Amino acid sequence: MLAEGMETARTFDGHGIWFALLWLLALAALPAHGQTSSAQLTVNLSVQSSISLVFNNNPSVGTAGFCPLTNAGTNNVGLDLGTAAFPGNSYQGCGTYAHIGGASYQVSSAFDVLVTKSNSSSPSYRLAAQISSAPPASVFWLVDNTVLTNTGFTALDAADKYNQAVTKTLQVQVRNNVPSQILQETITFLATAN
Amino acid sequence: MSTWHNTRSRILVAAAFMLTSASMLAQTPTASGTINATLTNKNGIALVFDTDPSGVTLGAAGSSNASLSFGTISAFGPLSPGVTRPSVTAASFTVRSPFDIQVIQGGLTSTSYTLSASLAGPAPTGLSYKVDTVTLTTAAQRIQANGVYDTDVAHNLDLVVSTASPGAGGPAVGTPLTATINFTATAN
Repeated sequence: MLAEGMETARTFDGHGIWFALLWLLALAALPAHGQTSSAQLTVNLSVQSSISLVFNNNPSVGTAGFCPLTNAGTNNVGLDLGTAAFPGNSYQGCGTYAHIGGASYQVSSAFDVLVTKSNSSSPSYRLAAQISSAPPASVFWLVDNTVLTNTGFTALDAADKYNQAVTKTLQVQVRNNVPSQILQETITFLATAN
Repeated sequence: MSTWHNTRSRILVAAAFMLTSASMLAQTPTASGTINATLTNKNGIALVFDTDPSGVTLGAAGSSNASLSFGTISAFGPLSPGVTRPSVTAASFTVRSPFDIQVIQGGLTSTSYTLSASLAGPAPTGLSYKVDTVTLTTAAQRIQANGVYDTDVAHNLDLVVSTASPGAGGPAVGTPLTATINFTATAN
């Protein structure tokens, strides 16, 4: 009886070894789903403070003195003041026409300047402007009654607030002896963080 | 006469014996053996980073330990080549660079992989990191469920940067900021 049991156990052990080997082989042959591979990506950067200036149409755009900007909402816009002559009854445009003294006229239009900041603790900014080329004699370009030149930036505001639109009025003053011609300027506005 | 005859016979026999022995000794000796060779072919999977044609040139591209430098970033200023700024809002701006991941496998019957990613540590103040649409944390999150092996798969790495000033919730300014993103590819 004991011998028979031992024989049975020995037989079972032999089968067990073969079974285990087959099992291992089967495991090796099976596709190894769930295998993983890891990798690292190191990301480097440095943040810099910056500010942005855009020109917007004034909420009163469309009424006299508030000409629509082309490409409004960007920092590169167009502004067409129309056609004017010293005799004021011939003005065709969206601006405001007025005589200045007895020998000049002025056409003006207002628009908004919006300066925003990012990653900066600056409380305010200063605003300046410059025209791109010297105007013809007896022609003057102004912003808020300040004459602009092409030799440097002219200060307009010392401490404007960020994220608040500032309304600026562009003026062109022309004396009555200025020959007929197209008057054109590119006016650069410069905002500098305080 | 008889003696001579016997002697001659013995000489002939001896000569024949010697010739036979020489012939036996001249045969080419041979030997044989066998080699029982074994190679265990293991299955494996690897992940490497590659530079995307539209993105920043990676450091150590083609390896599993690469770097991506955004350079100096800002909401409104110029950006490094390969970096774009898809959005700027009052609260934040995003800068982006695509990069490629290639997962290689051998010995698997798997036809695709799952990609997950996590930050090695907390993101710097005012910054969050996104891979494609997933905002990364220190816990692994699935980025892609069915990545294709052996080809570059483009992903976007987005940095969402608060526009707040330093000390008010915004990131440090003018300071190098570094983060490590761990990626894991798992065979499906």
